[in-house]
Amino acid sequence: MRARGSPFERLFWRATTLVVLVYVGLPLAWIVSLSLKPASDLADGHLIPRHVTLDHYRAVFANPHFPAAMRNSLAIASLATVLALGLGMLAAYAVVRLRFPGRRYLLGGSLAVAMFPPVAIVGPLFDLWRRAGLYDTWTGLVLPYLSLTLPLAIWTLAASFRDLPWDLERAARVDGATRMQALRRIILPLAAPGIAATAVLVFIFAWNDFMFALSLTSTDHARTVPAMLAFFTGASRFQQPTSSIAAASVVVTVPVVALVLVFNRPIVAGLTAGAVKG
Amino acid sequence: MRMPREHRLGWLLSAPAVVAMAAVTAYPILAAVRLSLYRYDLRFPDARTFVGLRNYATILTSAIWWKSVAATLIITVPSVSVELVLGMGLALVMHRALIGRRTVRTAVLIPYGIVTVVAALAWRFAFDPTTGFVQGLGVLDRPWLSARWSAFTVIILTEIWKTTPFMALLLLAGLALVPTDVMRAARVDGATVWQRFFRVTLPLMKPAILVALLFRTVDALRIFDTVFVQTRGALGTEPVSLVGYDTLLVSLNLGLGSAVAVLIFVLVTGAALVIVRGMGDALPEDRLR
Amino acid sequence: MPAPSGCRAAHILRRACVAGVVFVSACSGGVASGPPVLRWYVFDEPSGAFATAARRCGEESGGRYSIEMTPLPTAADQQRSQLVRRLAARDADIDLVGMDVIWVPEFAAAGWILPWQGDDAREAVRGRLPSAAATVRFRNRVWAAPLTTNTQLLWYRTDRVDRVPTTWDDLIRTAESLGDSGTIEVQGARYEGLTVFFTSLLASAGGRVLAPGDTTVALPPPATERALGILKRLATSTAADPTLSTSREDQGRLAFEAGKASFMVNYTYVWPSARTDAPEVARHMAWARWPSVEAGRPSRVTVGGIDVGVGAFTRHPRLAFRAALCLASVKSQRTAVTMGGLPPTTEALYDDPDVRSVFPFADLLRQTLREAVQRARTPLYTDVSLAMMRVLHPPSEIDSVADVARLRSAVQRALDSRGLR
Repeated sequence: MRARGSPFERLFWRATTLVVLVYVGLPLAWIVSLSLKPASDLADGHLIPRHVTLDHYRAVFANPHFPAAMRNSLAIASLATVLALGLGMLAAYAVVRLRFPGRRYLLGGSLAVAMFPPVAIVGPLFDLWRRAGLYDTWTGLVLPYLSLTLPLAIWTLAASFRDLPWDLERAARVDGATRMQALRRIILPLAAPGIAATAVLVFIFAWNDFMFALSLTSTDHARTVPAMLAFFTGASRFQQPTSSIAAASVVVTVPVVALVLVFNRPIVAGLTAGAVKG
Repeated sequence: MRMPREHRLGWLLSAPAVVAMAAVTAYPILAAVRLSLYRYDLRFPDARTFVGLRNYATILTSAIWWKSVAATLIITVPSVSVELVLGMGLALVMHRALIGRRTVRTAVLIPYGIVTVVAALAWRFAFDPTTGFVQGLGVLDRPWLSARWSAFTVIILTEIWKTTPFMALLLLAGLALVPTDVMRAARVDGATVWQRFFRVTLPLMKPAILVALLFRTVDALRIFDTVFVQTRGALGTEPVSLVGYDTLLVSLNLGLGSAVAVLIFVLVTGAALVIVRGMGDALPEDRLR
Repeated sequence: MPAPSGCRAAHILRRACVAGVVFVSACSGGVASGPPVLRWYVFDEPSGAFATAARRCGEESGGRYSIEMTPLPTAADQQRSQLVRRLAARDADIDLVGMDVIWVPEFAAAGWILPWQGDDAREAVRGRLPSAAATVRFRNRVWAAPLTTNTQLLWYRTDRVDRVPTTWDDLIRTAESLGDSGTIEVQGARYEGLTVFFTSLLASAGGRVLAPGDTTVALPPPATERALGILKRLATSTAADPTLSTSREDQGRLAFEAGKASFMVNYTYVWPSARTDAPEVARHMAWARWPSVEAGRPSRVTVGGIDVGVGAFTRHPRLAFRAALCLASVKSQRTAVTMGGLPPTTEALYDDPDVRSVFPFADLLRQTLREAVQRARTPLYTDVSLAMMRVLHPPSEIDSVADVARLRSAVQRALDSRGLR
């Protein structure tokens, strides 16, 4: 495969790849560059910084709001992921392995939930949360995140469960294993990559949310990174916060991009299988 | 005996997910419908009264609402169309490429994984006259986010950058479903590259295209993050979500804001139904070929 | 979809909420012993002047309370949305509120701050500039103590102009004649600053937004048309900054400090800032009264500032009133002006040598403040202001005749609580 193609063709594909990389990379390279430039070079228009400084990164971590927001984001997105995976696996298993009335409605219904505009529910949630004491708490974000994460989890898990060799489960049960044993020993290890990819996708969805975080939190107690970034200001109003925002953006982007790169194959499978095969 | 047990187990396993989804979507939207019939403004806590459909009348006679509907469409239609074309190109590249295919496939996932707020900030800085690079490109030198149409352009570009990869991946999956023997047969029959693409590939991909359209249209109609970060709705770029957010959570006018929310829900659901109906027509026709 | 009925979902959600409450209160930890800590929510004052005042008040209370500052975001609209949501959630953590003057009617009407009584109420406004004292009054009661005030002056470059323009028409003409360096920095982004700018123009033209009583629209056509006309003329003039439609106070300051502009209307903080950041510009920087609209009729400029109120859900209302008085006392104001460059509300301080050394323009500032105007004093102020900026933005597209009617109807809708935001 690799060696095929005329030199001209190879050149064409190399060029195409380059175009795609520039398209993807330029805005990112720019924000990285802004985060490394000293304040005096901020407006110089150079992509490659003439002087490199880590001051902005130090400033970002010295600002107490940023580490707090990172902690909130990590905790809330992880909790939402665990919850969505737990509920999603049960439902996906049922959809794939069991015949029961209403099965199709479950998939259709969760598709409908996936298309729900968050702004349509954020008002009543605020009204409810403010009275229940859930405003500006982790719980107050984890619960609405289910509306973003659970449908995605059900669809991608169902798609990956469908491809599993369920005959092995049947064989194990014939050999005397209980349903749970068969699931745990045989199916779970095989399902692990799909579950991991789902976890990454679901985590990204929760990590990415802006509307709920903006509306249902207000302080370091629960405010997440995207909401904090939108309100990020420099140490004082006399300071242009551009560099700090750029540095903070880089910090929050790196882990997600790393996750995406590591899990790229199962993610692509998960993303597209849910949408097309379903 | 066996069947009902399987039914019971199926329901039992799906119940937690169903209940959770209903609790965080169906219940709040019903609450929004109820609130929308009241004058309920947290700034006037004692003045809560039933007003029937008055909030809806207020919104539907408001120029602000219709302008925001227009802004939403001005953002949605170009971004989804361009994404479809670009995404198709990207999908074809990924489908056909022999060299660099993995690199491309991995790279396109990056915009998808990036927090929308960060993407919006990156583009805002790029177009900013002091911190950007776009003004270094000669004719493009202008304060982009200071005028209406250029601000729309930046917003739409950001959307396209962020979501074309998703579109491309969905279309790529659709391309993979085009049987190679059909393509080979077409080639043998002497069809040109263009004929093959428009007469064979595209019709076979119609379901995948419609799915991609559905997802992205619904998503674009809900646009909020990018506009909030880049213009905060100034210069007539305010989409419906921002009007809803401001009425609900900045004014704390929960009655009126809930009516906005319900109308947005209707708008998005309506758009989804139109596309789904198109999909329903497409599927059988497809199978016939 | 086999959706459960709304009631069932509500029940489950409520149980989830209860669990959440238990979880959250378990997390908030034990109650600290010792004197109560009063939390003061106020904007993140960069010089540390507010923090210093808070510390001093705690020390002077003789161990009865201490004050902990909880900073709000820098932008005023974000400060408000954060506060109102927490107050709507009946947050007992908010003991003291540093309010932008425009929030007082809203917070008072909604029951989010406590009214002041008797001696405390009298003490809160004693010796204050009338325009500052007026910011804390609503429905014949006092709702806060005025800590700082603020208003705009005209700043210009003495090395580029030899005569100070006194009217807007004059100013625009002078700036245009200077060519490239003639830029006038004003606030034209779609935010509160634009409403402030227009309100000052309108008041200087002899008009006001709401009729006395603040429940019906005033916006008299001749004055409104005049104010709109100036805004439009400025925005379409070569003297306007090309980024006018996204300009806020700080962009204007930066452009002025970079030497790109010869005129600017802005708050007093630009003076200490220019002296540190751009000394060569500061050397040629001078001030004058905000330009008038009609020659011979002095301008009337909008008043701003911070008022200290007591949160309605505080656990320590009596201590909070004492603390608020201390935070807005003459001593605290002196700290605010010397450290932070924030103009005091107590009139006598304008004769104080320390204040005059920070503000060499103290007399002009006091005179402007004496004749300053209030923005609309209605609980719906944020809606009214937003309705106005929607019509006014972008300033270059104003139609000074047709927009009078649009402005009137937009403000009327906002007053009827029918204003979409």
